[in-house]
Amino acid sequence: MSVRVHMPPVLRVVCGGERWLAADGTTITGLMRALAERNPALRLHLFDEAGAIRGNIVFLHKGDLVRSHEAGVRTLADGDELILTNALAGG
Amino acid sequence: MSVSLIAGTPKGAAILTSKDRERWDLHFELPGWPVTASARDDRGRYYIAVNSPNYGVALFASDDLKSWKQFDAAPRYRPEDRGNPEHHRIVGAADFEGVLKHGGRFVDQIWTLHWAHGTLYAGVSEAGLFASRDRGESWQPVDGFNNQPSRDTWVPGAGGLGAHTILSDAKNPDRLWVGVSAAGFFRTDDGGKTWAPKNKGVDPSVEAAPASTGQCVHSVSNDPENASLLYRQEHRGVHKSSDGGDTWQVMEDGLPVTELSDGHHCSFGFPCVIDRKSGSVFVVPLDGDNFRFPRGGKLTVYRSDDGARWKPLGNGLPGDCYTAVLRGAMSADQLSPGGVYFGTASGALYAGADLGERWQEIAKGLPRITSVAAYAG
Repeated sequence: MSVRVHMPPVLRVVCGGERWLAADGTTITGLMRALAERNPALRLHLFDEAGAIRGNIVFLHKGDLVRSHEAGVRTLADGDELILTNALAGG
Repeated sequence: MSVSLIAGTPKGAAILTSKDRERWDLHFELPGWPVTASARDDRGRYYIAVNSPNYGVALFASDDLKSWKQFDAAPRYRPEDRGNPEHHRIVGAADFEGVLKHGGRFVDQIWTLHWAHGTLYAGVSEAGLFASRDRGESWQPVDGFNNQPSRDTWVPGAGGLGAHTILSDAKNPDRLWVGVSAAGFFRTDDGGKTWAPKNKGVDPSVEAAPASTGQCVHSVSNDPENASLLYRQEHRGVHKSSDGGDTWQVMEDGLPVTELSDGHHCSFGFPCVIDRKSGSVFVVPLDGDNFRFPRGGKLTVYRSDDGARWKPLGNGLPGDCYTAVLRGAMSADQLSPGGVYFGTASGALYAGADLGERWQEIAKGLPRITSVAAYAG
C-alpha cells in the first residue's frame, strides 16, 4: 500500500527537492513515521520532543482538513494523496 | 582581507561576501526558514540555525556558504523535562494546537551558536545550553546549566526565556559564560558541571525580580584570549567587568542616557561587540525600552577603548531612522583595521570601516535582521 504526500516548499530542502513523497501507512501518523524513519532530517520537522506530530502541521485528505491530533485515527487507503501543510498564520 | 557576512532574517539568510570590504556580493540562502544564528568552526565549516513555528528547529552546515545540508539531529530536551509556564504563555501565540499545555520543555529557537575548544555550543529558548562534539551531527544537553538550581526563579523577558549569549576562554576550556533573558549571566569553571550567577553590581530588571538571577542581560562580549574582560549591554545599561563577571561596574560616560518605563535612567540597547585587535567595544543605544529607536531618530554606534569614555560614530548612518538593532545583529570581522557590521530591524545592513569611523549601507530591502556574523578569510 502506498500513499503520496505533497510536501510544502520549505520542507523540500530536506527531501531532495521532491514535491511528492510516497510511503506506506494505514494512518496519517503511521505514514509520517514511515517518512521520518526513511529521512531522519525530516523527523525533526514532523515530530516534537514528546514524539507527537507538530501541532501546527495540518493535512488535507479527501477534501477534509485533518489536524495533527486527529492524524492517529485518520485512516488511509492505497493510492490516497495527502497534502502536508501548516495552520494558517497571519491576516 | 576578504570577509563574509551571514545575516539571519525571518525569511532566510542574506550572505554577503567581499574581497576588499568595499564592494559586496549578496546571495540569499535557505528561503522560507527563519535564520536565527550562525557560527564557523576552526576547520572553516559554517553552521546556520533555523527555526519555524510550524516545523521546528534545525541546523544546516556548509563548507562554501552556497551548498547547505541539514543535520539529522538538533538540540532537543528530553520528554520528561518540565517547561516554564510563563515562557509557554509568551511563545504560546504560535501554539495553535495547544502542545504546550502538556507542560513539556521545548526548544523553540536556537538563539546563538558558539565554537570553542572543538565543541559547537547552542544557546536555546526555552533557556538551555546544548553541545555537539562531532561538528553538529549529534547534540547533548548541558545538564549542569539546564538544571541550574536557581532555574525555578528564572523569569522570561518579553521575548521568552532564552539563552542568547555564549562566551568562552581560549586559555581555559573549563570556563564558559551564558547569558539568559531575563535570568542574567552565568559562569562555569568546571566544564559545565556547575554554574553560578554572575550579576553582582547589575540591578535586576525590575525591583521585584530576584537579586541574583533577575537581570535582563541583552548581550555580552569578550576576547577569548583576554576572556575575563567583559562588556555587557543590559536592559539597565552598559557595564564592564575585569574579573570574569564576579563584579560589574556601570560604564556610560559619553553614552546617551534615557528613561526606562519604570523611571530608571540608563543607556538602553541590545548588541555589544568587541574588536579583539584594538580592544574597542561597540554598542548601539536606543531611546529607552518604550521607544526602542535611536534617540532623535539619528542612528549612531558608540565605541570605547576601555569603557571609560564613549565616542559617537555616525558618519554615513541615516537620520530620520526609527528602527532598532537587535541583540545578535552586530559583529566585528577581527581584521586590522577592524570592520564592524550591523543590521537593522527594517532590513538595512551597514559596514563600518576603520572601527566604525565610516559607515556604508551594503544591503537594504532585507527582512528584519535578527543576527549578523562576520567571518574573515
